Amino acid sequence: MTLRSTLVVSTALAALAGTASAQSMQIGITQNNVGVDSYQTTYEQAFIAAAEANDDVETVVLDAGGDVARQIAQMEDLIQQEVDAIIIWPTNGEAVIPAVRKASQAGIPVIVTNSNIAEQGFDFVASFSGPDNITQGARSAEIMCDRFKAQGIDGEAQIVQISGQPGYTTAIERAQGFEERLPEVCPDVTLMETQPGDWNREKSQQVMEAFLVKYDDIDGVYAGDDNMGVGALNAAKAAGRAGDITFVGATNFAVGYEAMAAGEYWGSIYQSPVDDAEAALQTAIDVLNGEDVPFLNYFDTPKITQDNMDEFTKPVF
Amino acid sequence: MVTVSRREIGSMLAKQGILIAFALFMIGFTLANAKFLSVDNVFSVVRSSAILGVMALGVTFVVISGNLDLSVGSMMSFSTIVVLDLHDKIGPALAIPAMFAMTLCLGAFIGFLVGYLRLNSLIVTLGMLSAIHGLTLTYSGGQNMDIADKEGTWFSVFGQGAILGVPTPILMFLSLAALLGLVLAKTPFGRKVYAVGGNGTAATFSGIKRARTVFTCYLISAGCVAVAGLIQASRSLGSQNTVGQGLELEVLAAVILGGASLMGGVGTIFKTVIGVLILGFIQNGLLLLGLPFYFQFVVTWIIIILAVWLDIAAKRGKLWSPIA
Repeated sequence: MTLRSTLVVSTALAALAGTASAQSMQIGITQNNVGVDSYQTTYEQAFIAAAEANDDVETVVLDAGGDVARQIAQMEDLIQQEVDAIIIWPTNGEAVIPAVRKASQAGIPVIVTNSNIAEQGFDFVASFSGPDNITQGARSAEIMCDRFKAQGIDGEAQIVQISGQPGYTTAIERAQGFEERLPEVCPDVTLMETQPGDWNREKSQQVMEAFLVKYDDIDGVYAGDDNMGVGALNAAKAAGRAGDITFVGATNFAVGYEAMAAGEYWGSIYQSPVDDAEAALQTAIDVLNGEDVPFLNYFDTPKITQDNMDEFTKPVF
Repeated sequence: MVTVSRREIGSMLAKQGILIAFALFMIGFTLANAKFLSVDNVFSVVRSSAILGVMALGVTFVVISGNLDLSVGSMMSFSTIVVLDLHDKIGPALAIPAMFAMTLCLGAFIGFLVGYLRLNSLIVTLGMLSAIHGLTLTYSGGQNMDIADKEGTWFSVFGQGAILGVPTPILMFLSLAALLGLVLAKTPFGRKVYAVGGNGTAATFSGIKRARTVFTCYLISAGCVAVAGLIQASRSLGSQNTVGQGLELEVLAAVILGGASLMGGVGTIFKTVIGVLILGFIQNGLLLLGLPFYFQFVVTWIIIILAVWLDIAAKRGKLWSPIA
């Protein structure tokens, strides 16, 4: 909090000083809901650290607390303060579009971070910086398939999927990427059923318990993130069937990393909130410098499995 | 003879409408998938429902006393996060009582506001829903909580253990239900709860200390939440800050489904347990049927409405309202 208010004050002072800091860029960010999960908490810390390390950048760091109305008000504040660019982590892909349009019409480039806004708002967005969830889903399918090939069961394996919260873009895109890629790489693997785990470990554990009752033979589980993947793993362990199942997730969490180290969980997608935050800031800087930035500016989210996990540091969230 | 036995059947139906509804669903789901009634599945459903169920036991007291408790979801997140955090800091033997003490303090605070200051329980507990969520986030700094040594701790016994083949969460849920059922049905305190919820003014004039009764109901509710948090924490040995989010409405749904009245004065622990089991088995049954999940929300709602309708119809002995 102190850091944040210091930044706000220093930005205000810089604005007063006027020409003295004419060279520096003022970038405002309004985040979705810091503190609700470790990813967003780490993101904010990384964003502030990256901005401090760059002398040309002054930031105004705001958080909407998950509230659409507050985020729209923050957008208006940032427009009033005449910042040079605004980064927004949308609380809602539809509802923030008018505020984004307002900023764009005021001549302030808007960078959307982490989760994109709805398509009808694309005209008002300078660039989207974030993970490519369709590719993440596809990569998870490849991890699963490679594992089955190594085990020699790619001709008969049967899997289930536990997806994220129904209706969320990230959940839909990861499932889509996975379901499209799997038949391409492993045409004989059967996806028996998909049920949502709502990004919730406990819910996912219940879903997996039902799957274990329903299906006598499960070779693999794909979960929309590691939190749910570990929930599924817990259920399988309790039923004494974890050893037969390949667990693959996405967004590698510390619990997923530890389960991999313990040899219980096979693989995931490494998505670092630090990379996410740094990519957002860099995209904003590039836009302000007039560089040619792609509209969908994805940062890389590599595959991580038990085989190559040494190359990655354990996630802090 | 015929008329007497008909009346007997009628009165039995009137009392147990929700049980009949429950039996009908169980038969329906079993016909659809034979594995539904397998021992493994029944255990796994009751074990999953135990967390919701334990919370519903406490909320039953609050609802019968004529109040609401919407704070139990975020309070459960709080208990879970606190006990997981303290587990690694001071050890499980101290962490559990410390967590119970903190959770009971929250319950006492709510009980004080609603019981002694006579503030509206909807406003107080709705406010506490977000206040406790904020407290949890402040406590954890927004981070997920995980126990470092997951294999080496005895703490997992509450969520993952079993005694004579019966999972501990089920034993905790059922024994707490038996205990609280006795308290509600057989003790002077239980009768005070009904009296305060049925007619608060009359209860006061009969010499019942209304404030103290309401206060105790919230303490019981918080105690149940602490038990639920303990099971939750022990079951997954790690947790998100939002683990209990939204549970308050499911808990309330189970309590109301069990026939407790939001007006107060009506309800039993036994029927709350049935309400909890109906919700748990619906969720599991739909999963086993493999219905597309967007549609499951609709089906869940239809089944709940059917259950409530059967319950009411049995009470009045007709399928539709006689004055409609």
